[in-house]
Amino acid sequence: MTVSEQAIGQPTERPGGLRRAWEGARVLWSSKTAMIGLLIVGFWVFAAIFAPLLTPYTPTEQDYTAQNQGPSAEHLLGTDSLGRDIWTRLIYGAQVVLVMLPITETFWLPGGVALWGVIIGLLAGATLGLIGGYLGGWIDEVVMRILDAMMAFPVILLYMIIIAAIGASATNVVLAIAIVGIPGIARLVRSLALDIRTRDYIRAAELRGESVWYIMFVEILPNARGPIIIDAMLRVGYAIFAMGTLGFLGLGLPPPSPDWGSMVAKGRQFILSGSPWAALWPSVAIASLVIGLNLFADGLREESLRYQ
Amino acid sequence: MEFFSKKETNEAHPYIPELKDQYQRGRITRREFLRNATLLGMTFTSASAFLAACGPTTEPTAVPAATEPTMATAVPQPTEPPAGGPIRGGSLKAASRVQKVTHPAQFSWIAPSNQLRQVAEYLTYYGVDNVARPLLLESWEPSDDLKTWTLNLRQGIMHNNGDEFNADDVLFTMKEWLNEEVGSSMLGLIGDYLSAENIEKVDDYTVRLNLSRPEIAVPEHLFHYPALVLNHRTFEGDFIRAPHGTGPYTLESYSEGERVLLRRRNDYWQTGADGDPLPYLDEMEFIDMGEETSAWIAAIQAGEVDYLDLGDNVSPDFYLALKDDPNVVVATVPTGTTRVLRMRVDIDPWTDNNVCMALKLCQNHEKILNLAYFGQGLQGQDMHVYENHPEYCSKPVPQYDPERAKQLLADAGYPDGLDVQIAVGTGWPDIVSYAEILKEDAAAAGFNITLNTMPNSQYWEQWTEVDLGVTPWTHRPLGTMILNLAYTADAEGNPVAWNESRWVDPEFSELLTQANGTLDVEARRQIFCDLEQIQMDRGSIGIPYWMSVWMVHRKSIMDVPPHANIYMLFNEVWKSA
Repeated sequence: MTVSEQAIGQPTERPGGLRRAWEGARVLWSSKTAMIGLLIVGFWVFAAIFAPLLTPYTPTEQDYTAQNQGPSAEHLLGTDSLGRDIWTRLIYGAQVVLVMLPITETFWLPGGVALWGVIIGLLAGATLGLIGGYLGGWIDEVVMRILDAMMAFPVILLYMIIIAAIGASATNVVLAIAIVGIPGIARLVRSLALDIRTRDYIRAAELRGESVWYIMFVEILPNARGPIIIDAMLRVGYAIFAMGTLGFLGLGLPPPSPDWGSMVAKGRQFILSGSPWAALWPSVAIASLVIGLNLFADGLREESLRYQ
Repeated sequence: MEFFSKKETNEAHPYIPELKDQYQRGRITRREFLRNATLLGMTFTSASAFLAACGPTTEPTAVPAATEPTMATAVPQPTEPPAGGPIRGGSLKAASRVQKVTHPAQFSWIAPSNQLRQVAEYLTYYGVDNVARPLLLESWEPSDDLKTWTLNLRQGIMHNNGDEFNADDVLFTMKEWLNEEVGSSMLGLIGDYLSAENIEKVDDYTVRLNLSRPEIAVPEHLFHYPALVLNHRTFEGDFIRAPHGTGPYTLESYSEGERVLLRRRNDYWQTGADGDPLPYLDEMEFIDMGEETSAWIAAIQAGEVDYLDLGDNVSPDFYLALKDDPNVVVATVPTGTTRVLRMRVDIDPWTDNNVCMALKLCQNHEKILNLAYFGQGLQGQDMHVYENHPEYCSKPVPQYDPERAKQLLADAGYPDGLDVQIAVGTGWPDIVSYAEILKEDAAAAGFNITLNTMPNSQYWEQWTEVDLGVTPWTHRPLGTMILNLAYTADAEGNPVAWNESRWVDPEFSELLTQANGTLDVEARRQIFCDLEQIQMDRGSIGIPYWMSVWMVHRKSIMDVPPHANIYMLFNEVWKSA
C-alpha cells in the first residue's frame, strides 16, 4: 500500500523512506475506520491478483446442467443463468476493476479500469487546475468555464453520451471515467493552487527564475497532494459505481466479460423467480468495495487532519 | 359426400374432393384439411362436420418433428370449468399499454389492436393452429389460378352505431390500407399483389379481389393486426372519435397512457353456448401499467388485474416469476418467433459457404434453448420454417459438431481459426445469452467471436448492414410468408429489402415461386422439403430456437384461447364466480 504511505508523509520534515513508512503505518493503525476499509479493499485486491488460484473454473465456463443455483460446495456463491460460477466471475471481474486493464485480448496493463480512469483524470484535471490556479487571467476563465459547462451535465448522462459515442470497451470506459472526473479534480487542484501560490517558497522559486511548469509540478503539486490523494481514493469508489452503472445499462465491457454491473442486470430477471444469487453477489461486491474505499479515505483524512 | 348439401358441393372448389381423399388416406392432418378446405371456400362448419363423420385418422408421420423432449407443448394449461358452463357478467381488467391511436390501419403495436379488436373486427381470423377461418366473411372462393378471390360477406351484421356492415365498408377499409398517405403496414403486406383499382364490388355483400399474381395467404393477410374493418359512413381518420365497429364491445373511454374502458353491447352477432349474444363479460378494462415488468407481475399476483396483455412486451420474466403461482395460469404457446443468426453472404468470410456452415455447426441447439430461453420453445433447424407451419417438412435438428466445423474452416482457408464480430442488441437478454453460448462453444472450432453489443435501437438502424448479427423475426402463420420476405430477390435479381443476409439462390427462388402457387399441402410440403434442405445445406442463417409466448391470466378467467401473436380473441372468455 505504497500510495497510502506516501499520502501521510509530513511535508515539512522530509524524513527518510523507512521513517515515513513507519509514520504512515502508525497513522493507519490508529484509525479503525481506515483499517477496516483497507481490509475490505485488500481482500478484493488479493482475490483479483490471485484469481486463477482461488477457483477451479474460468469466468466464461458454462455448465448447462447447473443454472441459477444457490451457494453450494461446488459453487461457493452459486451459478448464474448460463451455469457460470459466480465467485469466479466476481474475482475475475475484480481484476478488471482493480488490477488489470485489458487493451486487446492478449495485451493488458497493470492497474484496473477504475484506477486508470482516475489516474488519467488526475493527470489531465491536475494540469488544468494548476494552469487555472497558478496562471489565472483569461486562461483560467476559459478553462474553468468549459469545465463548468461539463459539470452542468448529470454524471450518468455524460457517461452514456461518451460511451454511446466511442463504443463500449475497457479502454473507452477508462476514457469516460477520466473525462467525467476532470472537472471536479481540476476545481480541487485549482483551489489548492490558488492558496499555495501565495506562499513564500513560490515567490522564492519565481525569483530563482524557475519555469512555470517547474513551479506548477514541482513546487505546488507535491504540496497539495494530501487532499488530492484522498479525493482520488473517493474517486476510485465513484469510478467503480460508474462501471457498475454502465455495465447495468449495457454500456460496460461487452459480454461475456465478468462485468459486475452487467452481472447484476442479467441476474435481476431471476430475482422474482427465486434465484436472487446472480444479482445479489455482484451488488454486494460493488457495495463492499466502494464502502471499503470510502472508509479508507475517510479514516485517512480524519487521522491526517488530527496529526496536522 | 352426403355431408354437404348439393349446392355446397357444387360450389366448392374443384380441389376439395382431392383434399378429402388425402385426409381420409391420412396424408394430411386434420389441421391441414381444415385450413385448406376453408381456404378454398368450404365453410368451417361443413369442414368440421366432414371431419367428425370421418372420425379420427392416423396422423401422417411428417408432423410433428421428432426432436428432443424439451419441446413445449401446444396446449395451454387446462383450466377446469365449473359445472354449468360459462357464467355471464363480470369485468376483466387487463394490464396493458395505452398508446396514442388514431387510424387502426396505422397500428404498429399489438396493444392497441388488442383493445380495439373488441370494438371492430376482421374479415378473417386464425387461432393457435394457424388455420384461417372466415369472421366477417361468410366464405371466400379463390379461382384455380389463385389470382381472383371472391369474398362473400356475412349479412345482417350491424356496427355498434346501427349502420349495417356491407361491401362498401370492405372497399373503404382496403383502400385505406393501400393509400400511401395513410402509411399502413398493410401496404407492404398486400400492396405487391393488390391495388385499389383491382378491388371490385360485385354486390352489397360480395367483393372480388383481382390479384396481379397468385397468392395463397390472402385470408391470413386479412387478419394482420392493422386490418380492422372500418365503418365507411363515419370513419374520418380518427377511430377514437367515431369508434364504430361490428365487435362485441363499445368504446366507453380511451385515455392515452391511462386506461381503456369497453362495455358489452347487447346486439352482437355471435351467440354463446346459451344461445344469447356474446360476449359473456360485461366490461373489459385495459390499464396502462407502464414498462416495469415487476409492476405487472405484482398486479396479477395481488389480483389487481386478471390478465396481462404481453403482446408487445413478452418476456420470459413473466414466465419465471409466475409459473409457480397457484392463482395464476401461465399458458405456453409455441410460435414461429425466432432469433436469426444471419451472415452476410456478400461480405468475406461469409461468401464461403464452408464458413457459414462451420458457424452453424457450432450451435448446440438444445443447450442454447435451455440456457437462453429456459427450454420454453422448440429447437431450430437452421432453416426458417417451424413445425406449426402447415407446409413444414420434418427435418432433424443439426448436431453440435465442432470437429467438422474446424475442418470446414480449414477447408475455407482458415486453419488457424477466424476472428469474427457479432452484432447483438442488449435489450434482448436471450440474444445476449445465445451469443455468449455461441462464443464459448465455437471456440473449439477455432472461431474467436467478439460480441459487439449495442442498444436495440442502434441494432435496428443497421440490422440489414452488419456482416454477422442476430435479428429477431416475428411469427407468421404460413411458411411461404417469411421465405418471400427474407430470402428472395426482386425482378432485377437484387436481394429484396428485408433480405438481410443478401442470400439469393436460383434453385431456392424457383422452388419458392412454385410453392407460392401450390394449394395442395402435400405437394407444397414436397417443395418445402427441398426448400428447407437447401437452406440447411447452403443457407445463410442459423435458427437456434423458436420462442414460445405466454398468455398469463388469473385462474378465475376461463376459456382463454391461446394465440401465437398473443391476440386477445376474448369473445367467449368468461369469469368464474
